[in-house]
Amino acid sequence: MNQNRRIIFKAIAGISFFLLLSYNSAFALDGQTIYKTYCASCHKPDKDFTGPALKGARDREPTKDWAYKWVNHVDDMVNTDPYAKTLLAKFGSKMTQFSDLKQDEIKAILDWADSYAPPNATPPPGGKPGESDNSLLYGLLTLILGIIALILLQVNSNLKKLSDEKSGKRVPNPVPFYRNKAYLLLGVIVLFLIGGYYTINAAIGLGRMKGYQPIQPIYYSHKVHAGTNQISCLYCHAGAQESKHANIPSVNVCMNCHMAIKEYAGDPIIREDGTTVNANAEIQKLYDYAGWNPVKKSFDRAGKQIEWVKIHNLPDHVYFNHSQHVKVGQQACQTCHGPIQEMPEVAQFAELSMGWCINCHRETKVQFNDDNGHGNKFYSIYERFHEDIRNKKYDSVTVEKIGGTECQKCHY
Amino acid sequence: MKRIQFVFVIFIIATATIISCNDKRHPGRVYMPDMAYSRAYEAYAPYDELAKEGINYKNYPVEGTIRRGDLFPYTGTNDSSGYNRSASVKNPLPPLDSLGLNEAQRLFSINCAICHGPNMDAQGPIADKIGAVANLKIKPKLELPEGTIFHVMTYGKNNMGSYASQLNRKQRWMIVQYIKSEQAKEIAKSAVTPATSGADTTGAKK
Repeated sequence: MNQNRRIIFKAIAGISFFLLLSYNSAFALDGQTIYKTYCASCHKPDKDFTGPALKGARDREPTKDWAYKWVNHVDDMVNTDPYAKTLLAKFGSKMTQFSDLKQDEIKAILDWADSYAPPNATPPPGGKPGESDNSLLYGLLTLILGIIALILLQVNSNLKKLSDEKSGKRVPNPVPFYRNKAYLLLGVIVLFLIGGYYTINAAIGLGRMKGYQPIQPIYYSHKVHAGTNQISCLYCHAGAQESKHANIPSVNVCMNCHMAIKEYAGDPIIREDGTTVNANAEIQKLYDYAGWNPVKKSFDRAGKQIEWVKIHNLPDHVYFNHSQHVKVGQQACQTCHGPIQEMPEVAQFAELSMGWCINCHRETKVQFNDDNGHGNKFYSIYERFHEDIRNKKYDSVTVEKIGGTECQKCHY
Repeated sequence: MKRIQFVFVIFIIATATIISCNDKRHPGRVYMPDMAYSRAYEAYAPYDELAKEGINYKNYPVEGTIRRGDLFPYTGTNDSSGYNRSASVKNPLPPLDSLGLNEAQRLFSINCAICHGPNMDAQGPIADKIGAVANLKIKPKLELPEGTIFHVMTYGKNNMGSYASQLNRKQRWMIVQYIKSEQAKEIAKSAVTPATSGADTTGAKK
């Protein structure tokens, strides 16, 4: 009996010791996680940011346990401790006090930072994967085949001439090809077709501006902002969901981020002609418009408007409403504006012609209100459609069916 | 021979015209300019000249007026005393239902998540570049009063700018409610397990 009890006791002790060990080891690994939760917004492990670099912090500080006291007592120490004062003078703002962080947690963070090694900057893979362009090959092939056909035609006519001479037929004097009426007629028809094609295309294109890409006052890259940095379109163009216009953001919206982001550190932005955009100079242009002084961190001049050039223009006799499409119709911006997040310089993507509008209205299915409250409450008045869908008359309703192609919807 | 030359010249002129029309830096021409370009004032057209023409134009609402359906203006001032007093400001909106919270979450993910992160843990896509982004899921910020959050949204603080031009007063209060509801979940969670939550680095974007 006694022995049994001892075995059970040993087993329990062993298990609990093991648990404690595993708990401890799991805890010791947490440095990076705690760093991300508490410190990452102001500190970087290897370089100064809003606050000093964490790597080697304990070696720079007056005593080895200074950091542990500091994190828990920022508010008391900031005005009394001499080292804290020098830090405050250097960085200009006091750290947030984290009274809840325990000493071993702070130690885990600093241990992690001391052992931090920046991830190796992998060079971009050299050369794009071989994209063989076949068009040259096809062109050459066509040319060779064309020449062979021409030679065969020549041979054919020569042979015919020979056989005619043999059989003693009278052959008319040969006419040079530029006087040959058949050739001339062919030439005229080809010219007419080519000329007609271009004339008609140009006439249709009159008043349409597909591909229009004006030079803007600041080289603003949608690729960097909406693509790389994943800023939502509606962050800057919030009006698109509320009004007729997708508003052009005012300068203060730019300054929301650019008060802090003074330099561009991403991949170089290359223009179409191969030159590189000086992104920092473009940010400086923004500061000039905003009247912002990045050194003093204050608006010390009068600001002025940035006169962006409007790209997507509809004629005055067409009414278009953004909120109707973005909020009610739940359309993505890219449906009409194309892959904006991949355009360094925005160009008009769609035709913006009436045929293009009507086609989309014929094909787009209306998202009626569903049980989750998404979709379109406005069209709940169209009871008939709901019943017809229920009776399996058709499976979806396009914009056209709810009056989306009536003239007066857009022209009045 | 003269005729051939004539045709040739015409052809070259036509080609040149077509090519010059394809200049992407210029908007090109239209059929009927009087129907294409507005005679009336259009949004974002320059308004400096309007006064000279005797047209009364104001680009700001009349002072002291409130837009129909909007909340009363926030009276806190943009200084430390306004900041301190903001803690006592109460949310004028009734508690949001689930649809309202969804809308608030949508607004948060558009306007705030870019820095504060979709999970409010300061892991947004550009938090790294801005610096000093507040983690709303840990202690000092977890206990921020509603009014103070609203005050900071209205006037900005440190590296954060004012969002008063992007979000109207109602939208700001909705987002305050959403933040508070998420923080309440976090408080309840940490009351059960007092461990630091793992950081989610995926910048999910709506």
